[in-house]
Amino acid sequence: MIRRSTRLTIYQSLLAFAVALTVLSASRSFAIPAFSRMYGTSCSTCHIDFPKLNDFGKAFKDAGFKFPKDDESMIKIPPVMLGAPANAELWPKAIWPGTIPGIPPIGLRMNNYFQYTGTSGGKFAALTPAGTLPPFVPTTDFETGYFSIFTAGNFGSDIAFWVDDDISVAGDNGNGGLGDGYLKFVNIGRLMKLPPHFLNLKVGQFELELPFTQARSIWISPYDIYSQANIGAMNSLIPLQQFVNNQFAFANVGKGIELSGGLHTGGYNYSIAVIDQNTSGAPQITNNPYVPTATGASFGGVGVASDANFKDIYASFNYRFNLERDKESRDAIQAAGPTGPRDHTYLNFGTYYFYGRSVQRLLGAAADGTAAVITAREPFYRVGGNMTFNYRCCLQFNALYMYGHDYNLLPVDASGSLIPLQNLSTAVPVGFIHSTPATFSGGFVDAEWLAYPWMYVMIRYDGVNSTSDRINGLATNPSFTGSPFNAPFSSTRNRVTPGVQFLIHANIKASFEYQFRPSQTVVIATNPLTGLPVALNPFHTNTAVVGLEWVY
Amino acid sequence: MTRSSLFTLLLVVAVAAAAVAGTIEGKVSTGKSVVYVDTIQGKTFPAPSQQPVMDQKGLMFNPHVMVIQVGTTVEFLNSDTVQHNVFWPSISGNKKLTHNLGTWPKGEKKAFKFDNPGVVSLLCNVHPEMAGYIIVSPTPYFAETDASGNYKIDNVPDGKYNVVAWHEGMKPQTKSVDVAGTGKADFTLSK
Repeated sequence: MIRRSTRLTIYQSLLAFAVALTVLSASRSFAIPAFSRMYGTSCSTCHIDFPKLNDFGKAFKDAGFKFPKDDESMIKIPPVMLGAPANAELWPKAIWPGTIPGIPPIGLRMNNYFQYTGTSGGKFAALTPAGTLPPFVPTTDFETGYFSIFTAGNFGSDIAFWVDDDISVAGDNGNGGLGDGYLKFVNIGRLMKLPPHFLNLKVGQFELELPFTQARSIWISPYDIYSQANIGAMNSLIPLQQFVNNQFAFANVGKGIELSGGLHTGGYNYSIAVIDQNTSGAPQITNNPYVPTATGASFGGVGVASDANFKDIYASFNYRFNLERDKESRDAIQAAGPTGPRDHTYLNFGTYYFYGRSVQRLLGAAADGTAAVITAREPFYRVGGNMTFNYRCCLQFNALYMYGHDYNLLPVDASGSLIPLQNLSTAVPVGFIHSTPATFSGGFVDAEWLAYPWMYVMIRYDGVNSTSDRINGLATNPSFTGSPFNAPFSSTRNRVTPGVQFLIHANIKASFEYQFRPSQTVVIATNPLTGLPVALNPFHTNTAVVGLEWVY
Repeated sequence: MTRSSLFTLLLVVAVAAAAVAGTIEGKVSTGKSVVYVDTIQGKTFPAPSQQPVMDQKGLMFNPHVMVIQVGTTVEFLNSDTVQHNVFWPSISGNKKLTHNLGTWPKGEKKAFKFDNPGVVSLLCNVHPEMAGYIIVSPTPYFAETDASGNYKIDNVPDGKYNVVAWHEGMKPQTKSVDVAGTGKADFTLSK
């Protein structure tokens, strides 16, 4: 049953750990050397420390991957004209003129890592059943990250495109996948005589307009709160039961449409997205011969991506207060000082909200006792706020808070009694009743200091306080095979990560991060006084990661 | 002295001067280069009043190489919609002569008078790929070669001079040239 699938074995846990390390050591991030080629300019025109955008880079992106003004005069490799504008004037019903980039705007990215894991990382081997070979986590390890291809640009007429794909992940060919792939119609509000930048439309697969992008973060390790899925677990010794299996995480890409507006370089900006629901709470049909697919395949096609009819909704709003003192610079895309243009000093506040419905389907019975599929639709939302203070080129403080709330439906039998979740595989559920919601909260704060144009010094604190984490982590049932290696000792999962990055060239950088992890444990006992589970011999699995990354 | 007498005298002086002025010509192996007569001991030249313009357009310095006489004021124009920050870290390696012109918006100019001879490597703080050169000649006797490297410096008085050839990325080369009506100097530059 579904609940069973959430109960990881030790070995699955190890696999998950390895995958987590891989993901951790290779967060998706992209810079666009294709633009460097096209405009004959350095990466640093748009990036402070790739892939982090400076103010000009944000304006370039907002404009649909074009220079905000006089784009034509900046291009060193002229685009190929697909139709002269005069054609449209002469024959209004002709194909509308457009362009394609003069060279295929392709960029490539590769990264490699070296990882050091604290020696206590081997402690979880104690969970290995007697008679079996314990797993081994090496203290040091070289890892291959992503090899990605990406392309982006515009077709003229304010239509921009972006596609990125991981050709290889962790050295495994073809094990990657499509990241973002979308068309963006920039400033479509002009058709309705709306103010400039008021309305853009994005269609395809994309990262949501998160307060802090994971895709363009300079951190090697992803933001923990963005990876937080709300997956409960059964634990008969803990009265709080959670029947949630919501694998949605903010770091996931969404498939759908997005309306957005404003500028990321000043004033307001907003985003409203409608995307497929896919919480993996129920499988989708991907190769049924009787289900037509969007691509026309009758069998083995791409199938459908949603696991329910409902579409999730995301909205964000930010306002950036321009604190630039220099009057001449205040309204410029970038401020300017004696050492050249730089980012404005600004204060940004934002808020965001995500609403979706997680779906789980069980084999149960109808009221008359006949076999039936019963469906638990558990609405959930994520809400929070964010703040950024940026001082010119060199210093930035960021903070984000998120509260997650999942409606928690517990299965009941024909008598209306709760079915213990560990007995779900043998019981016959007929419906659900509302129980205590599964919630979590947390976020991060970080400081990023550009000590030199080629060196970033950073520190970040991540914290996640999750009821489902607590249940998963403090299991006392001997049969529970959760993931104590990843589970927190306390109910709050947190880590502190100092880091430093060096730009060897504008397109090559070396990164170092040291992750102070939360306490974890492999020994669970019952407190004789309280009867509650306690974790003994906690340990830290701190990790150091050194990364080399280059784009070309 | 009457006006006509004065005119006649000036004409004679001019003709006499032209009679002793010669040329230096030759070829530089690396193609498009700059050649100039180095400092002439005990001789100074009035600064020209013309102010050439070094433009910044399309994220490039235009012209890429400019040669001027010492004392010339150059106007730096920004024709781009993006901002630039022009500076040079040294003049012919003398870091004391570093200067930062700062940043200014499109359509505006900043002027700078170059009082020290040498090679000025122009850079932009914002766009590190941008590079330009101003060759400040200590004398008014200079020329840019054609694409094949051929050059000709006119109006050089007869005498013995040190002639310098410069090309981007190459070591400058100096040769001694005797000018008696004409002088010739070919250069083979290397990195």
